[in-house]
Amino acid sequence: MISLTGLNLILPQLIIALAAIIVMLSIAVKRCHRFTNLFTLLSFAAAAISVLYIPRGSFGVSSLFVVDGFGKFFTVLIACAGFVITLMSYHYLNAREKRNEEYYILLLLSSLGALTMVISNHFVSFFLSLEVLSVSLYALIGYLKEEPAGIESGIKYLVLAAVSSSFLLFGIALIYMQTGHLDLSGIAAGLSSSGEFSGVFIAGLAMVIVGIGFKMALVPFHLWTPDIYAGASAPVSAFVATVSKGAVFAFLLRLFYSTGGLENKNVWTVFTIIAVASMLFGNWLALRQQNIKRLLAYSSIGHLGYLMVAFLAITDRGMQAATFYLVVYFTGMLAAFGTVIYMSNKKGEALYIDDYRGLFWKKPWLAAIFTTVMLSLAGIPLTAGFLGKLYLLTAGTEVGIWLLVIVLVVSSGIGLFYYLRVVAVMFAGKNENEASSEPVIGKIFPHGLVLTLLFLLLLWFGVYPSSLLEIIQQIASVIR
Amino acid sequence: MIYLLQEELSKKVMDVNDIASYLPIGIQIVCAAGLVAFLMLVTHLLGPKRKTADKLQSFTSGIESHGDARQPVAIKYFLVAILFVLFDVEVIFFYPYAVNFKGLGWSGFWAVLLFVGFFLCGFIYIIKKGALKWEE
Amino acid sequence: MQNALQLVWLIPFFPLIGFLINGLFRKQLSKSLIALTGCGTILVSFILSVWVFLQVKNGNSDVAEYFNFISAGSFKVPFAFQVDALSSLFLLIITGIGFIIHVYSTSYMKDETGEHYGRYFSYLNLFVFSMLLLVMGANYVIMYLGWEGVALCSYLLIGYWFKNTEYSKAANKAFIMNRVGDFAFLLALFWIVSKTGSVSFDVVFSKASALGTSDVTIITLLLFIGATAKSAQIPLYTWLPDAMAGPTPVSALIHAATMVNAGIYMVTRSKALYSLAPLSQDVIAITGLATAILAATIAMKQNDIKKVLAYSTVSQLGYIFLALGVGAYTAGIFHVMTHAFFKALLFLAAGSVIHAMGGEQDIRRMGGMKGKLKITYITFLVGCLAISGIPPFSGFFSKDAILLSAYEHNKILYVVALFGALLTAYYMFRLLFLTFNGSFRGTEEQQHHLHESPAAMTIPLIILAVLSFAGGFAGIPDIFLKGGDAIAEFLSPVLPPEGGKTVSHSTELILMLLTTVLVLAVIVLAWFRFRKYKPEEEKGLGKFLKNKWYVDELYEKIIINPLDRFGAFLSNVFDRSVVDGLVNIVGRLVNYGSRQVRLLQSGQVTSYVLLMVLSMLLIMAVQFFLRK
Repeated sequence: MISLTGLNLILPQLIIALAAIIVMLSIAVKRCHRFTNLFTLLSFAAAAISVLYIPRGSFGVSSLFVVDGFGKFFTVLIACAGFVITLMSYHYLNAREKRNEEYYILLLLSSLGALTMVISNHFVSFFLSLEVLSVSLYALIGYLKEEPAGIESGIKYLVLAAVSSSFLLFGIALIYMQTGHLDLSGIAAGLSSSGEFSGVFIAGLAMVIVGIGFKMALVPFHLWTPDIYAGASAPVSAFVATVSKGAVFAFLLRLFYSTGGLENKNVWTVFTIIAVASMLFGNWLALRQQNIKRLLAYSSIGHLGYLMVAFLAITDRGMQAATFYLVVYFTGMLAAFGTVIYMSNKKGEALYIDDYRGLFWKKPWLAAIFTTVMLSLAGIPLTAGFLGKLYLLTAGTEVGIWLLVIVLVVSSGIGLFYYLRVVAVMFAGKNENEASSEPVIGKIFPHGLVLTLLFLLLLWFGVYPSSLLEIIQQIASVIR
Repeated sequence: MIYLLQEELSKKVMDVNDIASYLPIGIQIVCAAGLVAFLMLVTHLLGPKRKTADKLQSFTSGIESHGDARQPVAIKYFLVAILFVLFDVEVIFFYPYAVNFKGLGWSGFWAVLLFVGFFLCGFIYIIKKGALKWEE
Repeated sequence: MQNALQLVWLIPFFPLIGFLINGLFRKQLSKSLIALTGCGTILVSFILSVWVFLQVKNGNSDVAEYFNFISAGSFKVPFAFQVDALSSLFLLIITGIGFIIHVYSTSYMKDETGEHYGRYFSYLNLFVFSMLLLVMGANYVIMYLGWEGVALCSYLLIGYWFKNTEYSKAANKAFIMNRVGDFAFLLALFWIVSKTGSVSFDVVFSKASALGTSDVTIITLLLFIGATAKSAQIPLYTWLPDAMAGPTPVSALIHAATMVNAGIYMVTRSKALYSLAPLSQDVIAITGLATAILAATIAMKQNDIKKVLAYSTVSQLGYIFLALGVGAYTAGIFHVMTHAFFKALLFLAAGSVIHAMGGEQDIRRMGGMKGKLKITYITFLVGCLAISGIPPFSGFFSKDAILLSAYEHNKILYVVALFGALLTAYYMFRLLFLTFNGSFRGTEEQQHHLHESPAAMTIPLIILAVLSFAGGFAGIPDIFLKGGDAIAEFLSPVLPPEGGKTVSHSTELILMLLTTVLVLAVIVLAWFRFRKYKPEEEKGLGKFLKNKWYVDELYEKIIINPLDRFGAFLSNVFDRSVVDGLVNIVGRLVNYGSRQVRLLQSGQVTSYVLLMVLSMLLIMAVQFFLRK
């Protein structure tokens, strides 16, 4: 049983779990969107701040969780992302849906899944976290009841996630069968003693890779991404793109770095193929997209592929590069979806690139933010994206994985085209049929403020990354 | 609850990968398949068979069917069904607790109480939102 | 020196400030204020550059380090600026010519609305800022920052009139070609990091001798590919002529002061690497020469005034690379400087002509303008004389230095280079005569409209004309004046002279005389041929040249089209046909049972799951296959 003394270690998770229950009870008493939103914001903030009260060092909480620097870092990252998404959701939901309060229960619950996943040290806790995360997401994706596309994509996600989960579960069972352990350190011990991987273990690993690859939307498990991004409401898409993927990536790092599974040449080769395919296909398929959310979906596939390059370096440097890039990716994606939300109106979202035509002449500040975001995603210097990519590349070149490095450079070259296309459209002439369109739902406060903050972060990390890097360097070596 | 899955059990499973350890499973599969085969065979052999021309003709009677057989069902059925499953599963968790009631002591009691408390919150929410009101 | 070290960051800082002010407040500021900010910031940078120049004149050099841009373990990239003779010379060129072009622009762009005016000047300032960053960086990463920035700004400026799709296409082309170069540069950068563990110039160059020949050769070749994109050499030169789509002052800025010099600067800066890779040097020399000849032949048949100048830039850059390839770095840099003078002059003068003609750029419809546009005519003439290498104009000294080093290196190179120099004289004077001599061939209205440009445009022209005339005196060869080669002396701390000259003074003098006489003969030939111009349809070789050797068409056929089709194939065929096709095939094989399942779900979801399962099987197969 968890002793009470260990409870302070999982304070952020407890706060979010309690918040979900309190929000639910408050809805039972009286519906109030403003209160619910505010309360959710506060609990995300409290979760992020509570990390400060966790003592330094690495502690096991039963054998399911381990609270260390790495886990804390991702806890803060996810809590902050949740905070930003909650802020962005307020006006959006007000404009587009009548019953908004349950949205926040689901948001809190799926964040809870992500938060427990990043400190998971055991397959059982990982699987439970994954299910908490996914089950809430099914409902979140289909949350807008008036939107057929949303409901359709919710069902699609349900089916596909269920399939992937079943693979994952079967894979876990097979690994258990081979090693007799479900906790990561036990698996590591089992691996090192057996030497060569047996057939059962390989089959198990392949299934786990399918499950994880699906959640992270790596090629060839990526097909759901564009449909779900386009169908779900923009704040939820932002959540799927950041929190859901980031948490799984954090576990992937922990899983393979702490068990040494990547030392095996074959596993490494499989991941290399996946990474190369993700980078190339993600960027290539984005080239012809007119729908901005689909474009971002494909782009996120590419970005996860980039992350895999650092992951495959299997060094402390790779780990740091991946973490740094993930932060940059979070910031960029949140700001990108934030802009989409800002530009949406009561009737629908600003889905098409043409909706942004001439934005620079109407809302220069918003256009400047969006331009920076696109440039950062593309990796143009003086934005965070450039430095992130540079770190990935140095991590890759250091250990001489040239194939991956070259593919990264080539595919980010391809990527430039579609990012710049969006930028070019914003600077192009004015939109003719704008008279008929409704006013956008974005407000200066708090929406514009958050966007500005994210924008400044992108520039800040791009010019002076040391501030973030120092923190990352402290946490990165702990995991092994 | 989860600690039931942990170390003590896993040690026992360590050495199960030789083929002999699958014997019980094999026996079970053979039994299961055998039972099905046996039952089918028995009914086939024992059942009375009378073949007449009338029996081979297709049988038609009653009112003509019209409309789609897959009628939309009120969402209420699903809600109740889902909620039933939810609370049903809750009971399943009580079983291992009941078995280990003594061994788990007070800490186990508090844990289960917390678990039930959370469920209670959900239940309050359901009642308040009127999910169980049949008329309306 | 301590002072210079502290304050050198101000040089790029001011254009950045100008960019921010003009970019953010372009709606609020009046046009004169915008112009003032745009020009003023560059002027301050120029003054600072002069001051830095005076500091480094007596052989000082230093690295000004500010903070750690990147630090990851032992790998550090400081944000540091290199202050030495080479960078200070480039600083002078960039800020000096940049300032003149800014002043010229205030008048040239005055018909734009205030908002666009501000946008234009903010781009221009950003351009100068990026170029300064490129030149001042003390390591390859900072250089790369500027490198990318320059590419981005050129994209913005070439596509400045974005409503014209032709122009947007040109901007895209410039960008794509530069991406190819950037890609090579990045690979070189990472190669350097993996071999030396650093990107700082001093560390890399000191460790260069320890590298294997193959490593150095690969690095230098990759860097050179990067340089070919920026400095418009074969095979990546076609963007530069198309980049004429932007406003004329922008062309002047790109061609004279900034972008195209980036590649040259990078190669010169990496001299320590190139001197270890003779193969790369030969590649550079031959590529440079081939580009010089190719571009010169194309320029002979172009009818757009700016296109001729564009190809002449490509050709002149070829000469500079020839100089770098044969190891005559000083001569190369000298030509960069003089070229900056006369090419800026020619472009701005061309801008004045276009201005007078109301936007007309076709020289077949010009002619006889020397009466109306006196200042423009005289300054243009000075530019032509300078670029053709008539003594004592500036081009003579620098081009002669290049020809002489080519002669020392290899006689064949010299002969071909000399042929190129004659072509230069031919097409430049063709341009001059067609534009200013003969009778006017445009419309009545245009003839009526002809006028000399305002002072804000002519004064820059005059200044540049003086520089084009006198700029060569910075590098008078020893045979005329002992110790007259001031520029070589100035650059000697960075680029020490290599060995003594092998050519005797008499040979040198004969070669000069030969060049001059031949060039004069060509000019006379051009005079007789183009004094009275009649438009005629080009045939045979002429048509081939007029169509720029069909290089663009070739690229279109072999690179752009297949890529385009592949992209379309992936998005249309792969996702829809292949995946769905697989579903169909497998669906039939698995008979009726699967049909029930497919009725329950949408077709797409099954295909998703199917792909997942297939991939998983593939992963397992790969694992088993590789197991041994």
